[in-house]
Amino acid sequence: MSNTPLLQGIDLRKTYHLGKTEVPVLHGASLEIQRGDWITVLGSSGSGKSTLLHLLGGLDRPDKNSGEVLFQGESVWDKTNKEINEYRNSDIGFVFQFYHLLPELNVFENVLLPAMIGGRKTNNDEARKRAVSLLTHFGIDHRMFHRPRELSGGERQRAAIARALINTPKVLLADEPTGNLDETTGNEILNVLQKLHQDGLTIVMVTHEQQIADRGNVVIQLRNGVV
Amino acid sequence: MSRIIPLIAIAAVGLCVALVIVVVSVMTGFLDMVQSAGKTLMGDVIITYGVSGIPHYESLVEKLEEDPSVLAATPIVDGWGLLRMPYPDSAAKQSETVQVWGIDPESFTQVTGYNNTLQWKTPSKQQLDWLLFDAFIENASAILQTMSDEKQQLLIDTVDSAGSTMNYQFTDLWSAMEEQLSEEQWKIINAYDERLQNPENVFTQGLSLSRNGKAGIVSGLHVSDGNERQQDGSYAVIRNDHWWMPRYEGTLTMLPIASGGGLIEPESVIMPFTNEFQSGVFLIDSSRIFVPIKTAQQLLHLDKAELVDKDDPTIIVGIDPARATSVLVRGAEGVTAQELQQISIKVYDEFRESLRGITNVMPPSRGETSLSIHTWKEQQKSFTGPVEKERELMRTLFSIIYLVVAALILSIFWAIVFEKTRDIGILRSLGASRAGIIWIFLRYGGIIGILGSLLGLLLGWLITKNINEIHAAMGSPPISIAIGAFIISVASLWVVFIRGRRGEILPIVVGLLSAITFGGIGGLVVFVRSQGGIVIWDASVYYFSVIPNNIDWPSASFTLVGAVLFCLLGAVIPAAKAADTDPVKALRHE
Repeated sequence: MSNTPLLQGIDLRKTYHLGKTEVPVLHGASLEIQRGDWITVLGSSGSGKSTLLHLLGGLDRPDKNSGEVLFQGESVWDKTNKEINEYRNSDIGFVFQFYHLLPELNVFENVLLPAMIGGRKTNNDEARKRAVSLLTHFGIDHRMFHRPRELSGGERQRAAIARALINTPKVLLADEPTGNLDETTGNEILNVLQKLHQDGLTIVMVTHEQQIADRGNVVIQLRNGVV
Repeated sequence: MSRIIPLIAIAAVGLCVALVIVVVSVMTGFLDMVQSAGKTLMGDVIITYGVSGIPHYESLVEKLEEDPSVLAATPIVDGWGLLRMPYPDSAAKQSETVQVWGIDPESFTQVTGYNNTLQWKTPSKQQLDWLLFDAFIENASAILQTMSDEKQQLLIDTVDSAGSTMNYQFTDLWSAMEEQLSEEQWKIINAYDERLQNPENVFTQGLSLSRNGKAGIVSGLHVSDGNERQQDGSYAVIRNDHWWMPRYEGTLTMLPIASGGGLIEPESVIMPFTNEFQSGVFLIDSSRIFVPIKTAQQLLHLDKAELVDKDDPTIIVGIDPARATSVLVRGAEGVTAQELQQISIKVYDEFRESLRGITNVMPPSRGETSLSIHTWKEQQKSFTGPVEKERELMRTLFSIIYLVVAALILSIFWAIVFEKTRDIGILRSLGASRAGIIWIFLRYGGIIGILGSLLGLLLGWLITKNINEIHAAMGSPPISIAIGAFIISVASLWVVFIRGRRGEILPIVVGLLSAITFGGIGGLVVFVRSQGGIVIWDASVYYFSVIPNNIDWPSASFTLVGAVLFCLLGAVIPAAKAADTDPVKALRHE
């Protein structure tokens, strides 16, 4: 059991269809993520690193008969729709380059959102307490009842990370989390991730900057759709 | 998402719902009024035997009233006639075709509440002045004889000057004459008209259908052209009560029909108007008059007559009893029309049996086709039937509004789904299920439907409850509306001017539209006022003098539920599209 990687991508292929042209993005990428890893995937833009992350996170499906995503040894795409939703909701935490917070909800509600979506299993009071403690932990508790647009980029990304962590996921998938931030703020975010990693969280982060990639303990180069 | 879109959707749904509620409520109220008016006007059950009438009807009425289920029964003689109207302006004299009902006022009141329909309870001071004026003119020589020349001249001058101004202003002729007349002279005048002794006699004369001992007419309020409906729904007599019917006499002509079916020479009789009645049903108020049943029987040759030998008219062989064309029956409290109909049939059969062998003029047997024993509903069918159909048609036509509601919600939600694609993608990436996304949009559509329905209900209720006031206001729109509209219009132009300088187009377009709309409203109000108001609800078209203003709750609740359902229907397609949003594509969507 201990040998089973937490998350595993095997020979992942993904082709996008733009009208009649086929644009292959991944040509058989494989990677293994062990518990406690901080893996950074380094690749230039268009190398398919976001796609790789989407496949790992269960947001997107690899091409037919072309690779598999295994989570704790089980194929993600063999799951039922309901199980995939649960996988996205509780096993994975996603952090995006553009934060993707809902503009109508305040920070607190945004953070609470995955808990509300997975509602059946989560005790509501517990989730609220956890949301408050996460926001306090990331130093944005004073922004709790503000709308995302009233926050700075760094604050938004912290809120997004708090949202990703609300359901205590096993893996945090971060898609260029600093890509939209200036260097100082970006470093602050990376420090936050580093702290989380030190506390035992498994992280997969994609970036196109060597410097940032170096913050992880395993760096994977993605070139032309292969690792 | 801009917050104004759902508000517009709610307002639009509300308007649709309000429209349906108002239309259907008015139609239903209209139908109810027709039916209840019919019920009041003709009792619960009507026994009719066409033109030749039911002989021995007194015995039938008596037998009916013996039954505990019957509150009262009353005979009617009805037929068509011509009423020569006594309009005081000679050029206006004309005849009206009227439906003449010969009634026995006492029992008729018990069956129909006739007493409540009488229009003139006590005459106004102006009307009394006219009666006094008439009485003086009729008795001038008798009164003047008893006076000195000087006083004569003074009195003639007083009456003369009053006579020339009374038809446009109140002159208080009464007080003026009181000063000049002695008690003796008053007596002469009083003797001429009972109503001068006691003004309330106007009402009692209407109740008894006789004036100063002479059989009289009570005519529907719209039979005379002299009664004008005021905007508050009351009636006034034109030319300052100059055309007040109870001052005059009319000539009633009816066409009797011989027992063989042929026409007999028309009969005419001059009768005084004693009062007027208002049932609320325009069709009846504009064509029906009441006269004493005896008068109608005489005019129609349905009165008691001697039967003479064919060969020798001096030998009386029997009596042809008086006849009534109908008998109206009112049931006791709690007796339904259907039950009363069965009882009436039973009593009628007994009545006919009891006459067997006693008379040689038998009432018609129930097998005869022209004898009918109907409930008021059946009797009204020819009239209420079309109205009912009309209401169903309206309902069906206005159901199209549901499609409007659905299309409205569909287009708005389609736009929202497009606008919200990225957020839907976020929700999906956070693990929201398809069903969860559908549920969000359905719930949203349901909330818009419910809020819109409630708004529509409130709006519909307000409009329906105040529909007569609104109609009256349209008749003479308050100038404050015009002023308010003009102020908004000018304010809009000001906004156009200020914001337009910054080169923005939207404020210019909205401001100009608003300026034109409100300017138009203000102008319309001024125009309508200059035209003396508009009347949409014309009593002569819609049978009733007031617009029904009760909400038809069953239809209203049906409409509310329908609106919510069609909101959901409109939301379900966009919701499904939203649920199928591919999270990866959606996240790239900006």
